[in-house]
Amino acid sequence: MTYYECIALLASRWTDELVVTSAGTSSELWYNITGNTEQVFYLEASMSLSSMFAAGIAYGVTDKHIWAFSGDGAFVMNAGMLAVEQQMALPNFKHFLISNRVYGSTSDVPLPGRKNNDYEGIARAFGIKRVYSFSKLDELKNNFDKAVLDPGYSFIHLEVEPVSERFGSPPLDGPELKFRFGRNIEKVSNKKVFSGQLNDERN
Amino acid sequence: MDSNIEASQKSTERAVKSGYSQKIAKEIVDVCYSAGVRLAATLPDDWIANTIACFEQDIRFAHVPVNREESAIGICSGAFLSGTGSVALMGASGLMTLIYAITKINYTYEIPVFLMVTNRGSFDDKAKFHTSNGLYFESVLNSIQLPYTVIKKQKELPRIEEAYHHSRKISRPTVVILSKKLLQGKG
Repeated sequence: MTYYECIALLASRWTDELVVTSAGTSSELWYNITGNTEQVFYLEASMSLSSMFAAGIAYGVTDKHIWAFSGDGAFVMNAGMLAVEQQMALPNFKHFLISNRVYGSTSDVPLPGRKNNDYEGIARAFGIKRVYSFSKLDELKNNFDKAVLDPGYSFIHLEVEPVSERFGSPPLDGPELKFRFGRNIEKVSNKKVFSGQLNDERN
Repeated sequence: MDSNIEASQKSTERAVKSGYSQKIAKEIVDVCYSAGVRLAATLPDDWIANTIACFEQDIRFAHVPVNREESAIGICSGAFLSGTGSVALMGASGLMTLIYAITKINYTYEIPVFLMVTNRGSFDDKAKFHTSNGLYFESVLNSIQLPYTVIKKQKELPRIEEAYHHSRKISRPTVVILSKKLLQGKG
């Protein structure tokens, strides 16, 4: 499947989940397709940390499901993230690893181990029970409910073809992203993100 | 295999034998709770093994052991956006690896995180392999304008709470540096 087809399918099945995208193509495509700036944190400055960032959100926002996206360029920098995810076992957390075997946001420079990296096998070796791997759009479509909507943590490897073009970053500065996303969490989950973590003293 | 709690209790025994104070560790954890911390993401340094064990064994906290300090920054940054107070606890060397994560995530998006780290490389640190921290650690923090305070005495522990709230006030990370003598109960 192409990267675009993959993201377009996921976006078409997306409802009220909170989404954290990674540096490069996943952020660009998700914004290009959805235009959403409240339910999505475009963590373009992330380099291997998008799923950890998303796990922190999932820990505290227990009444919403969280979708985290990583590219395999980020994943190979910090595969140990899976040990942490496996131990946290967050029931409202899904990790999508989108693999195109290149550093897509830097002119498709090939990844180390690109031919042999077995992401599904790596996830299973970390003890993750619910691991899915899809390389064809129909496979993803037909197994979406089981892999994504069934409750519990799961790791979903999506093999896509490299993208040969850039779609442009979401036109938001960092603090605006933070406030849009955080205010949405305050609204939908009744969490005190900004006001609740300051003490009340004024002097 | 023993449970995480059993393994943590063994770590406590070993840390106490090594001369680190369980009483101070408990006090640090209590001050964190009072400040609003509910999640601790940790990666060890010998000096803070007791403190990590206290977070693990205290049901008031979610303890998340990580295998890379950057992961602690990711988790704590996300936790902020969920309204959850958190601390990233690590050695000085761990913080030295965090320049990218802090300047990219926390400075770009203005997301506060609170860190507690050891003062490795100080004059009373006998480990030669921490010499570099003694030479460069505080200079590195200053170079990225990362606010910090060094706590050397037990009576200064309430400053943990101040440092935590300062991070929320300025929407940037803040750091508490814990001295060896403090962690040994000699401060």
